[in-house]
Amino acid sequence: MAELRTEEFMVNMGPHHPSTHGVCRLILTMDGEKVVAIEPVIGYLHRAIEKICENRTYPQCSPLMDRFEYVTAMATEHVYALAVEKLAGLEVPDRAEYLRVIMVELNRIASHLIFWGVTAMDVGAYTPFLYGLREREDIMDLFEITCGQRLTYNYIRIGGVSKDIPPEFVPKCRAFIKKMWSKFSDYEGLLNENPIFLVRMKGIGVLKPEMAIAYGASGPVLRASGVKYDVRRNDAYSVYDKFDFEIPTQPNGDCYGRFIQRLDEMKESLKIVEQALDNLPEGDIKCKVKPKLKPPEGEVYSRIESARGEMGAYIRSDGTTKPTRVKLRGSSYNHLMLVPEIGTDCLIADLVAIFATLDIIMPEVDR
Amino acid sequence: MGLIKKVPVYAEHVPGGGFVATQLESVLSHAQACSMWYLLFATACCAIELMCTGASRYDFDRLGMIFRPTPRQADLIIAAGTITKKMAPRLRRLYDQMAEPRYVIAMGGCTIRGGPFYYDSYAVEKGIDHIVPVDIYIPGCPPRPESLLEGCLHLQKKIKSQKLADWHEK
Amino acid sequence: MTRDELKEHILKKYDGLLTPLETGVFDLMFEVKPANLTNVARMLRDDEQLKFDFLNNIAGVDTGEQFEVVYSLSSISNNLRLDFKLVLPYDEAVVDSVKDIWTAADWHEREIWELYGIDVNNHDNLKRFLLPDDWDQGYPMRKDWDAPDFVRMPEL
Repeated sequence: MAELRTEEFMVNMGPHHPSTHGVCRLILTMDGEKVVAIEPVIGYLHRAIEKICENRTYPQCSPLMDRFEYVTAMATEHVYALAVEKLAGLEVPDRAEYLRVIMVELNRIASHLIFWGVTAMDVGAYTPFLYGLREREDIMDLFEITCGQRLTYNYIRIGGVSKDIPPEFVPKCRAFIKKMWSKFSDYEGLLNENPIFLVRMKGIGVLKPEMAIAYGASGPVLRASGVKYDVRRNDAYSVYDKFDFEIPTQPNGDCYGRFIQRLDEMKESLKIVEQALDNLPEGDIKCKVKPKLKPPEGEVYSRIESARGEMGAYIRSDGTTKPTRVKLRGSSYNHLMLVPEIGTDCLIADLVAIFATLDIIMPEVDR
Repeated sequence: MGLIKKVPVYAEHVPGGGFVATQLESVLSHAQACSMWYLLFATACCAIELMCTGASRYDFDRLGMIFRPTPRQADLIIAAGTITKKMAPRLRRLYDQMAEPRYVIAMGGCTIRGGPFYYDSYAVEKGIDHIVPVDIYIPGCPPRPESLLEGCLHLQKKIKSQKLADWHEK
Repeated sequence: MTRDELKEHILKKYDGLLTPLETGVFDLMFEVKPANLTNVARMLRDDEQLKFDFLNNIAGVDTGEQFEVVYSLSSISNNLRLDFKLVLPYDEAVVDSVKDIWTAADWHEREIWELYGIDVNNHDNLKRFLLPDDWDQGYPMRKDWDAPDFVRMPEL
């Protein structure tokens, strides 16, 4: 009898695939069910935001930032505004900083809710998706009464924020926080101890801390590998040094850890929003910014902690009204580099779980 | 003519009614308009609004719209988000893989004329209507879920007004 | 270690390799000669007092007169931040790869190779990346780049 022989074959996953969260393409070399090699192909959403910014004035760039990372658009506006303010030496009023923190943290919760729902959907549970987006709608309502938009806000501007919050915002927000606290038991009860879910998640896609640092992983992915590093604490920007919050970490660095990590982070964000509402100072919401803003010659790299990890903006000014260079750093860029590293030698179904728990979204990669 | 179109509505109320006489045309278009399965084709920001429309509050399913991951089971592409030059051939290919009759909704400014990426961008396709034929345009950046629902209702109206002869021409 | 201590430490220990610049508005900014890049990078990573083990970002810049490549680093264990840059004339647009030192540099270097046409030595994976596979219109992020269907926004 002839000896049994196996042959490797290629599977093309994407760019149109429901579990690649956008338009990422993975070329997989398979040995049966097992993935032998992965080659990510990106660029299907490369819209040249950085090139466009070079031909826009500083305030005109800010709406483009929403499109760079639309799931946490507030954070992108924040990092851009911080960078230009550093360059131009603007002093932002306290009330504006508090409002920014409230919005960014609410946006972080909204993003993690999407993550929670979509990850569960990718491994086969549909209900969390409906639950997650139900609570997210409440946050969208809060944004809508503040700035009129649901997704691309253009709320955080250079020098402050565009509008003050309406009087009904604070009671509505408090009601949301109260509701959200009561939902966690639902969320945790639904999946955290579900045996099928545990088999799909525990011990899958283990990311060692040294490897995470070498690849530039950040945010929840890095913390789920046990590294206690958070830009909000380690390089405190805005008014984050005035809040009392924990930085949760997970010991194992597997898919399950990354999943739980984001549930924990939502609670910390709620704590920050609560404190910010309690201590919200009165005063201006914007400092004086000339319409033709000309920051002096210089360059700056500013970074913040967005929902996915470290988000950075490198801005180079030559003293005119338009930036010479705007380079945006998205954490998904580095996380996608990790996929070939931790996804090799696992099953194709596990690859879906790994991709989902890294929480990669493509506009951040392609820009 | 007017009466016969209403037959499907009254037929439900006929007690123990065994059969119904109607036009083939109205049955077919009614069935088709009320079960548009859409392809989950989402590229950028509009995808999130498409997700919201499919989720709890806006509930796409009540229009008979259920997402399908494969083009071979879908009747409708909702092109949600920017189509870049690299993505354009893929969009055409997905469209070609769908079975007739098929429809396209262009959701958001980017798919209509490039949106905020019209000027100064070397990578964005300026409108998808020279890649695939578009039935409904929904403006907005991104459009609200309500406008997506409105667009789908317009598409239903369009399908319901189709004649059998149109189908042959297509 | 504060900002000034870090500056002093670097000036003392790496005299001549890293030249401080005043353009970094907030964090420290140094200039490094392209020939010394891998050397400096390795030293910054392995120095026990610094330990810059985390590469935040690599940004290519076309200033209109020359290319610049800006490296942003941070140290997770010592909580430090530092930037340095290389200045490359147009006719000598070559950098050495730092992929062996920080794995994260891989795609960043591919990106400057593709969008700016800056060549990267010792990089094993320089392939088309963000642009379409059949792209033949040059390096779009360069300031003097132009193409027939490229529409500039009119001045208001």
